[in-house]
Amino acid sequence: MVLTCPVARGRTTPHDRTPGHSRRNLLRAGALLTLGGATAPLTGCDLFDRADEPDPAPDPLEPLAAEARELAGRHRAALATDPDLAGLLTPIAEAHEAHAGELAKLLGRSTSPATPSAGASADGGDRAATLAALRKAERGGRESAAKLCAVAPPERAALVGSIAAARATHVEALK
Amino acid sequence: MNRRQAPSGPLQALADALTAEYAAVFAYGPIGVRLTDAARTAARRAESAHRARRDALVLQLSAAGNPVPADKAGYALPFPVTDAAGALRLAVEVEERTAAFWRAALPHTTGADRNRALAALTDCAVRATRWRHTAGVTPVTVAFPGRPG
Repeated sequence: MVLTCPVARGRTTPHDRTPGHSRRNLLRAGALLTLGGATAPLTGCDLFDRADEPDPAPDPLEPLAAEARELAGRHRAALATDPDLAGLLTPIAEAHEAHAGELAKLLGRSTSPATPSAGASADGGDRAATLAALRKAERGGRESAAKLCAVAPPERAALVGSIAAARATHVEALK
Repeated sequence: MNRRQAPSGPLQALADALTAEYAAVFAYGPIGVRLTDAARTAARRAESAHRARRDALVLQLSAAGNPVPADKAGYALPFPVTDAAGALRLAVEVEERTAAFWRAALPHTTGADRNRALAALTDCAVRATRWRHTAGVTPVTVAFPGRPG
């Protein structure tokens, strides 16, 4: 930006009041830019350092917890469009929320963020389509939990296994 | 070796699961005779699934030269089964209890053994859900199948 400013050639005295930039002013601006250039990376490093800490080892339970919240959100969304399904879907939504809560504990978080997404609900009032979509989502959820259970360390295997089994029972309940 | 505690290792966990399968097979006898039609068919199918797990465990433990716990002539039922409602209630309980043994085996197993334990836990949990449905029990699911308490 400084480079695009008009420069008053031949006028180098500080007393000059004509429009444009003296050479000294340009040099000053350059010095400020240099200082800015020197300090900016320092700030940047700090930011990156902090951001890096959780990054290197993303916990494999994170995606399972996210999936639990997502599944809960699907059931809540389906409930919102078809409240008659409350008896069937509420306990399932609560189970997913309980799973997310237990996983959050293992992940060292005191609370797990509330269920967001709605998008998945096949609305349009077609209950059969809604239930079919939920079954499909539960089946996918069971598979990912089972895969994770297979490689989970001993202290996590039982919880992840129960979550996989629970999702299988949801498929059954939604039939 | 203390049988009544949490399993101390993979062999103990599988031996414990085997005793649970013995008891489940036994329990489906009195359950089946109190049920009719589709429910009786479901009981037969459940019983044969438990027999299959039992046989696989006996084979697995003995093939590796490990002690195989013996089956008993009878197992104490948690309550007497006198009608269809009681039979369905017992069926739910049998599946829940067996699920707990397979869940307890998960931390002590790895690889194929872990996958088999999870498949067994899942099957028990799904059957418990079906039995609750048949019995008219709601909700038909529990949040953490096989978890004690």
